[in-house]
Amino acid sequence: MNQVEQKFTWKRALLYACLLLVAVVQIFPLIWLVDFSLGSSNEMFTNGLLIIPEKIRWDNYVTAFVDGHFLHYLKNSILVNVTAVVFVIAISILAAFAVTRMKWKLQGFVKTLLLMGMMIPIHATLLPNYVIYDKLGLTDSFWALLIPYVAFSLPQGLFLTCSFMDSIPKELEEAAIMDGCSIYRIIGTVITPLMKSSMATVAIMTFLNNWNEFMMASTYLSSNKWKTLPFSILEFTGQYSSNYAVQFAVMALTAMPAVVVYVLLNKYITKGVAMGAVKG
Amino acid sequence: MKKKIISLLLAAAMVCTMAACGNSSGQENASSNAKAEESGSSDAADAVEPADAPALGSQEGAAASAEPVAIKVFSNLTDRKSGQGFVEQTLFDQYMAENPNVTIEVEALDDEAYKTKFKAYASGSSMPDLVNVWGQPSFLDEVIAEGLLAELNQDDYAEYGFLSGSLDGFSKEGKLYGLPRNTDVMAFYYNKAIFEEHGWKVPQTYAQLNQLAKDITAEGMIPCSMDGADKWPISIYYQDIVTKILGDSQQDVRNSVSTGDFSNAAYKQAAELMQESVEAGLFQNGFETSDYGTAQNLFTNGQAAMFYMGSWEMSMANNEEISPEVRDNIGIFMMPVVEGGTAQVTDIAAWNGGGYAVTQNSAVRDEAVKLLNYMFLPENWSKIAWENGVCMSAQNYADFLTGEETSVQLAFTDIISSAASITGVTFNDLGDSEFKTNSEDLSAELAIGMVSPEEFIAQLEAAAK
Amino acid sequence: MRKIYSNKRVILTLILPGLLTFLLAILAPICLSIYYSFTDFSGMGEAVFNGLDNYKAMFQDTGFWVSLRNSLLLAIGFICIQHPLALITAAILDKMQNKAEGFFRCVYFIPNVISVAVIAYLWKFIYNPNFGLLNNILKLFGFEGNVNWLGSGSAIWSVLVVLIWHGFGWGMLIYYTGIKNIDPVLYEAAAIDGATGKEAFMKITLPLMKPVIQVNVTMAVISALKQMETVYLLTNGGPGDQTQFMANYLYKQAFNSFKYGYGNTISVAFIVICLLATVLLNRIFKEKDA
Repeated sequence: MNQVEQKFTWKRALLYACLLLVAVVQIFPLIWLVDFSLGSSNEMFTNGLLIIPEKIRWDNYVTAFVDGHFLHYLKNSILVNVTAVVFVIAISILAAFAVTRMKWKLQGFVKTLLLMGMMIPIHATLLPNYVIYDKLGLTDSFWALLIPYVAFSLPQGLFLTCSFMDSIPKELEEAAIMDGCSIYRIIGTVITPLMKSSMATVAIMTFLNNWNEFMMASTYLSSNKWKTLPFSILEFTGQYSSNYAVQFAVMALTAMPAVVVYVLLNKYITKGVAMGAVKG
Repeated sequence: MKKKIISLLLAAAMVCTMAACGNSSGQENASSNAKAEESGSSDAADAVEPADAPALGSQEGAAASAEPVAIKVFSNLTDRKSGQGFVEQTLFDQYMAENPNVTIEVEALDDEAYKTKFKAYASGSSMPDLVNVWGQPSFLDEVIAEGLLAELNQDDYAEYGFLSGSLDGFSKEGKLYGLPRNTDVMAFYYNKAIFEEHGWKVPQTYAQLNQLAKDITAEGMIPCSMDGADKWPISIYYQDIVTKILGDSQQDVRNSVSTGDFSNAAYKQAAELMQESVEAGLFQNGFETSDYGTAQNLFTNGQAAMFYMGSWEMSMANNEEISPEVRDNIGIFMMPVVEGGTAQVTDIAAWNGGGYAVTQNSAVRDEAVKLLNYMFLPENWSKIAWENGVCMSAQNYADFLTGEETSVQLAFTDIISSAASITGVTFNDLGDSEFKTNSEDLSAELAIGMVSPEEFIAQLEAAAK
Repeated sequence: MRKIYSNKRVILTLILPGLLTFLLAILAPICLSIYYSFTDFSGMGEAVFNGLDNYKAMFQDTGFWVSLRNSLLLAIGFICIQHPLALITAAILDKMQNKAEGFFRCVYFIPNVISVAVIAYLWKFIYNPNFGLLNNILKLFGFEGNVNWLGSGSAIWSVLVVLIWHGFGWGMLIYYTGIKNIDPVLYEAAAIDGATGKEAFMKITLPLMKPVIQVNVTMAVISALKQMETVYLLTNGGPGDQTQFMANYLYKQAFNSFKYGYGNTISVAFIVICLLATVLLNRIFKEKDA
């Protein structure tokens, strides 16, 4: 906590060594992935875990970029995920206000009901949902991805938003009500600005939940129009089944946007979470 | 009041749900309407004569150009640039060039994902028009029973040269529902160079195979790589041994699966023989979790001396990505005979697996049938597949021999043409899909010794009943 | 003011978007699921009602019990191994107060950002008995190094290691943010009283973190029960059903065996188990409160 504590001791060195070891274990997949993606497939079956490629093969990435429809899928991924995040945040705040602030008989029941969604395995809903979307003519559309993505992230989002909202003192809004503000205005101008950190957490959670999702995507979509990034991987494992290196290149490429965003925003993300996401 | 609103909402939700449950009748109506609309225009186009197909194709293109047609294809061939996917795509491109009014939209998913999505499609109303199917009861029976596939006109294919029996798997009660892509046969691929270097010989008996496994292991190599994660190769391996004991056993195995009677001593003996080989170290350590790619790569990278897989991998011999040391030295041999068995090495496990069918409710059903018929004109699928060394079609391709085939291609052709008997669909695919799952799980458990041969037989019988 | 807070029209407009999403995408499929669970539906064609047959079959299905056991085993692994480690690491990081803190925090979380497809591939390579990392390390230390990590017997432990490793970063991040919320004054006071780091952790961090731990553990248990993708890609439940988990098992029944009705029976049981687990955990935590 202060400079005195920072001086060198053996205990401290050991601690750092342990932390570093864990760090290596955690970051290893990324290193491994990039390493193999630059080699050729034959080199993969050597007796070491990492390889030194005979020749660095950037062309693996060119193949991945072009044949993987990278830009098109990335655009879809961003579009779907950003929209989903916006919806989840907005719906969470509205619903959280209704169940934590408003007074009505069924509020407890509805809250539990909505939170129950957290316990539902998405795989159980795969086929029934397909049947429903099919009836509604939603398959192979933007909505076929957006609805389940929002629905399955909503319970967690609501849960966090509720617990955060509970910790906001009521005096502020009560003052606003005295001034004659409507509930909608209170939510818009008083509550939401206070919810920044919880919104950040909900955004990250939603994003992480859905960014790599492929089970629902491959069931609900059929044409190329709305396919998302995981499809690059999915299509490549079939297309280049014998060429591991190219498969790895496409995996590295699809992992990159999320990793880059995370590393760049890491400070803000953690700060956002730290500012009070988990109030219990 | 609040309560009322909530209960109204809940009621609305229930209604939605009910509507979703009870919709099948509506769907049928819609589809029968579609059928009625089409039936007028269906007949003429079906009778395509192979000889004048190109001319016919262009005529039609001209005639129908006013009316654009979009055919949706659902394929399990994800690789569109080599192998069977390449042949498929080539034919589609060709067809679209000859029929400018037709556009073909392909959706391709790997086997597992394909089967899941197929089910989703089957439960909805938007089935693609031309779909991949497997000519095996485990897949096709349920699909046909639900009336998902359109019946094909058998007379259309009189001149197509389909090998006798190759359409059986795609037929049910005398009606034809699909066409097979190829003839599949299971074999040991082996690396001739490695065999020569160590003085190993192609085994003539099963005992020699086990001895070979021990010899190769002693040299620190993997004798035979096996795709155990998918489980079906293990099942087929087992079937292969059974065939080598019983000889022409097609009917026997069929009866066993349908009656659940596996008391024939050959089944138990085959189970014991498989376990013996595993104990002799025939397959790589951890084969039960090695997936297709890993198993294949062990062979193509020269770490395994053999690879047990189907004839569709013959294209390894002209795959540029495999190093020439392996690529140019691939040989094949069949499951060797079992001492005391009645079979010869020419009694083989072969079948017609993947193929195509047209869906019953397709809005462009006749166009899809036309496309299917076009694809399987002998000079199309059969010829292109053979010339590219991809696979052996289920049709007579003798006319298309070029003299430039790889030795692997020729060896497979020889095996098929000199076969004394052919198993047809292997035992794991003879039951329903539940039997397939169970029997393949059991085969894998038998191979790793989780169940004894006695337990294997008992549980197999239970699964068949 | 009460009147404003209980305006039904306002309440309705606030809750409607959430409720509709829930009804359309979660409740409706579940109702369908429950309906199918009483039928012999194969996934296509007609669904014929067969009463409690599926449920009876489920209770006798060893595959179901094995997958339930494995799911619970994973939950225990999360609670007893992953979370204590995550909490301690978070506490240590919190005390570092230098650049390394940010670095470690960032790196520890990275596996969570990477697709499970990559994670599963990686571990397949690590566990490969022929050329994998683990056996190579064993060889380095003079062992024979031919352990079949994903083989019969050891597979479930190998799978648990992957799952516990993978979720570590997320748990740590949540704990870390919780600890950051603790007023530093408390630690300073403790330091003045001469408390060691360990004592401060036991007396300040743990008690104050209780609500966070409660939430985190509940979520971990649910995610353990819901585990699917990693197992599906790593072992798909094999060998036998040794590494079968509930979600994967229901997927296998519904889509590979064409027993969609039965698959739904499992998923109904699955939902009930998840709900029970949540209620049970809440009970446990409440009792401790008292």
